[in-house]
Amino acid sequence: MFIRALLFSGLCLLFSFPAHAFDFDLQKVLSIAKKTQQATKTIDEPEEIEIGNGIAANLLGASSLLDDSRAQQYVNQVGRWLSLQTERPDLPWKFGILESTDINAFSIPGGTIFITHGLLQKLNNESELAGVLAHEIVHVLRKHHLAALQKGARMDIASDLAGEALKNKGDPAVLDKAIKAGTEVYARGLDKNDEFEADRMGIVIATRAGYDPYGLPAVLQMLEASNAQDSSLALMFKTHPAPRERLSLLDKIMSDGFDAYTAPAQTDKRFNSEVSQRK
Amino acid sequence: MRYLYALLLCASFVAPVYAKQPAYTVRSTEIKQQPFSDAATVATLSEKASVNILSRQGGWVRITSESGNGWVKMLSLRSDNTAAKQGDTGLQSLLNVGRSGSSGITVATGVRGLSEEDLKNAHPNPREFEKLQNYAVSKAKAEKFARNAKLKTQLLDYLPLDSKS
Repeated sequence: MFIRALLFSGLCLLFSFPAHAFDFDLQKVLSIAKKTQQATKTIDEPEEIEIGNGIAANLLGASSLLDDSRAQQYVNQVGRWLSLQTERPDLPWKFGILESTDINAFSIPGGTIFITHGLLQKLNNESELAGVLAHEIVHVLRKHHLAALQKGARMDIASDLAGEALKNKGDPAVLDKAIKAGTEVYARGLDKNDEFEADRMGIVIATRAGYDPYGLPAVLQMLEASNAQDSSLALMFKTHPAPRERLSLLDKIMSDGFDAYTAPAQTDKRFNSEVSQRK
Repeated sequence: MRYLYALLLCASFVAPVYAKQPAYTVRSTEIKQQPFSDAATVATLSEKASVNILSRQGGWVRITSESGNGWVKMLSLRSDNTAAKQGDTGLQSLLNVGRSGSSGITVATGVRGLSEEDLKNAHPNPREFEKLQNYAVSKAKAEKFARNAKLKTQLLDYLPLDSKS
């Protein structure tokens, strides 16, 4: 299962780059290009999940899960409840707290969401957690990372890989490199508009789930107040538009009507017992 | 006055405490006595007025300012982080080799495990992936979790761009 995920992500990456990036035999290139078109068009849900599982396993190679099953269960329940308010409620959603003290969160095709322990510790209540998770959930709903993978911005790596793979089909070392290239999307970040869309839809999903709609804006305000030079924020700030810009866009769309929604007090108590008091 | 104390006491338990986060207004904004649009107006802040945020409640934040104290709409404010821009508080700064050129890419090694380099050099960890799968919860469990905290679903469409105007 796991190897299949690796294989598939490898192949998918390999076949998703335009023909002009490959500098070898033209006939071979053309046949790959044909396969590419077919392959990229037909990434169905099971395949999306397989690709995602491979990438998730790889990210877990960079940071392990926080060793706190109670907090992990708590985050999974908040996230799974949010996922039920979306158009893809039946994905195998799974949520994980990474033990990293960096401040960041990640969304992986097929329904895996990671939040770092560093970010979790900065949050004040369940609505803020819901805001962060809902933002990440949108990336899955809208297949933002899958699209970025298929677009294959890392042409240089891709062409090397394609060359090696042609000589050496099915070599695990080559596939390992390919999945590395997949993980690189997370070092590079998405298009700004994907992030704005995730904010815009994320606040609605959190509100649908019964949370305070201002959870995500509050987190953005916290990030805005943070020292942008702090190394724990380096990757997050590099891969996302400035919090100020994101707040300005939410400011444009959040009418006073959102004031009517408030989260039940029980969620605050729960957050304190499951997260705050366990820091 | 006693009422005010009670209110403050309440706020300090319920709302997150911001330890006086400096911020400024992005538009002329009314300070309200309560966190509601139809509450009495204490004063009106001009654009770019400095305030200190004390706590948050929904879309409102409690502030102090030279013009008066009370509640203003959270999205009328932007944080002033000039005070925060003093050195790196992160542990990893100690390990940073430096920033390479204009790309601003942090060349770092070490403890956090989630720098750009760490992501690029990661190898799959099937054992952790299995743990991740075991933590996942069912729909039914998530629904029970929501009921336990009296979370109620709301019907709401996604927002188009500029839906407010």
